[in-house]
Parts: sequence; C-alpha cells; structure tokens
Amino acid sequence: MIIVHVEPENQTLIFRSLNTVLMLQKRLGLRVTDALVIRGSELLTPDIQIQDGDEIHIRKVTSTG
Amino acid sequence: MKCRKCKVPAEISLPSHNTAFCRACFSTYFTGQVERAIDKHKLILPGESVLVALSGGKDSLTLMLELSRLGHDVTGLHVDLGIPVSSAAARAKVEGFCAQHGMKLHVVELIKEGLPIPDVKKYINRPVCSACGKIKRHWFNRVALEGGFHCLATGHNLDDEVARLFANTLRWDAGYLSDQGPCLQAESGFARKIKPLYRLTEFETACYAFINGISIHSAPCPYSGGASFTGHKALWSNLEYNSPGSKISFYDGFLKRGRPAFALVEKEEGHELSPCTSCASPTSTEVCGVCRLKIAVTERRAADPDRATDRVRDKA
Repeated sequence: MIIVHVEPENQTLIFRSLNTVLMLQKRLGLRVTDALVIRGSELLTPDIQIQDGDEIHIRKVTSTG
Repeated sequence: MKCRKCKVPAEISLPSHNTAFCRACFSTYFTGQVERAIDKHKLILPGESVLVALSGGKDSLTLMLELSRLGHDVTGLHVDLGIPVSSAAARAKVEGFCAQHGMKLHVVELIKEGLPIPDVKKYINRPVCSACGKIKRHWFNRVALEGGFHCLATGHNLDDEVARLFANTLRWDAGYLSDQGPCLQAESGFARKIKPLYRLTEFETACYAFINGISIHSAPCPYSGGASFTGHKALWSNLEYNSPGSKISFYDGFLKRGRPAFALVEKEEGHELSPCTSCASPTSTEVCGVCRLKIAVTERRAADPDRATDRVRDKA
C-alpha cells in the first residue's frame, strides 16, 4: 500500500501498487514539472521505483495568486 | 536518472533542458541562470541596494535567499493585505524567513492605510485581483522610492512572465507590451523594477525552495478563484510538454523582436505622467488609481449600515 498526500488540496490517496513516479504522476493527471514528488527528504525523478509502504508527498508548483 | 554533470543519482529532472541534476549541480545551474539574467540585462549594479517584494510564496523567498547569497544588499517588503486568516499566515512565513536569515524587512499594513483588500472586494465593482495588484505595485514603488533603494525586485518566474505576455498579446495591449521584460528602467516617478528569476520555471523555484528548506505560504488566495493567468499557465504547460523550450523561446523572441516595436508605438501614443495630487505617485490623471480606490472605499464604507453596526459592536 502506498500513501500519497497531495498539496495544496490536502488530499490523501491510497494506492495498492504503483510501479514508478511517472506512473503516479500519470494517475494524478500531472506532467513531470507540474509538481514536486517527495519521499522523506528527497525529490524523486520520474524513473524512480515506488515501494510498497512508501509515503509520498505531491506538492503542486503552480501558484494561483 | 543520473546527474548530467557529476553522474550521481539525480533528484531533479528538467525535460525542457533534456537533462537532470543532483542537488549540488542543480544549485549551481540555478545560480548560473540568476547571474546570467542579472548580467545580461544589468539588473543590479555593484553596490546597489535592492528592495525585494515578499509575498511568502516560493518565488519571492527563493529570490531573496539567492540574491543574498550572491552578496547583494537586500531588504524585504511585505504588503499585509488584511485578508482574514490568509494574510496573517503569509506574513508569519515572511517574518519567520527574514528572522531566520537575519534579513531586513519592511511591512506595509493595508488596514492601517485604510485600504484592506476585503473592503476593496466589498465596495469596488471591478475584479479584486486587478485592484489588489494595482495596490501592491503602488506600495512596492512608493517604498522603493521613499526608502532610497536602487531597484525593486519581484519573484516573477518564466511561467508568470509567459502567462502575462500571452494575456497581453491576446488583448494586443501595446502599453503593457511596450515595457514587459526583466528590467523596467526608472523613470517618471517609477523605481527600476527587476525580475531576476525570469529564466527559471515555477518547478525550478519550487525545487530550490524545497532543497533549501524554505518554509513557504502555499495556500491559494481565497479571492483568486478562476484567475485567468492560471488557465494560461495550464495552456502553456501543454505547449511546453509537446515542444520543450517553447516558453523561453516565446519570451526571449518577444524581448528581441516584439518589445522594441511596441516601445516605438507607445513612445508616440503613450500618456504623459505627472505626480498624483494626493500621494505624488506618477499618474496620467490628477489623482492616481490607488488614491481614487481609497476615496471610493472610504465613502462607501462610511455609508454602509452593516459596517456601522460592526463599529458599534467593536466599541462594545
């Protein structure tokens, strides 16, 4: 199980399985540069494998005013 | 992915540059882009003092930190808009950031100036984002001039600039197209305005803020729903995805070939500016737009029976 927190909406999503960061971004309808993908204190590039038990933060970067 | 420079595992992928970087090399790249902007457009000359507009968001705080690290004499300016909850949170981020880094900060409180944004929204029949932007720019310029700063820096990034250029182009707004760019020279009562982050995208400033541990105010403004720039940014995100490099190409092309033409038109047809009779800010009318807003808000607030009730309740 993978827990994904989406900011700034403060949504929490749970995925049973995800292969890579790119797959997660596609599932969320995001392009590579639409959001930071954070695991712990590291930023993840699209090719990184997501592991079962990971907790990921998606921080969208577009300022809305 | 490996870092293009040092081949260790990358943390930041930049499709527009067909590359990826580790933290250290990304920081070098980021600083290089800021220095390139400053050098190419002579944004800041040695020894100059810079007033940096700070909203509390990732771009402005990133700009402040990067300019400080480059050795520039920086002072922050925050305009407290007086919006319940939201403004206090943004101001706390700015004050915390400046205290943490030992940076100078000047705060303008719109409640004390008689023009809080909730009142502008309530009493003025025009889009509140437009009025709010006008009021903030007024205070940026005023504090820069009255404080004797050499220039005013804002955290506009490439996405902001492309979205704004696109909006101005859709309207063929010759006035705005004549002077949009990373540097607007001082003239006619206006301080020099600079945008040192104009070569960097929102994603890149967000990466910088994250890897430098900058705590940002990220909640959207409660009044900004449906702002047109957000839609324009989404459109440009699609363009950039299909054709990497489109944003910087569009913007650089405008600076080289578009702006000079619009500047010529504006020189012939532009309005003469003179000091506002109330606050001395430059204006094409007798009283500047912000003073007119303040007069209208003051009059309508005084005539509002709900506000009269508020005052009685506040006194009690």
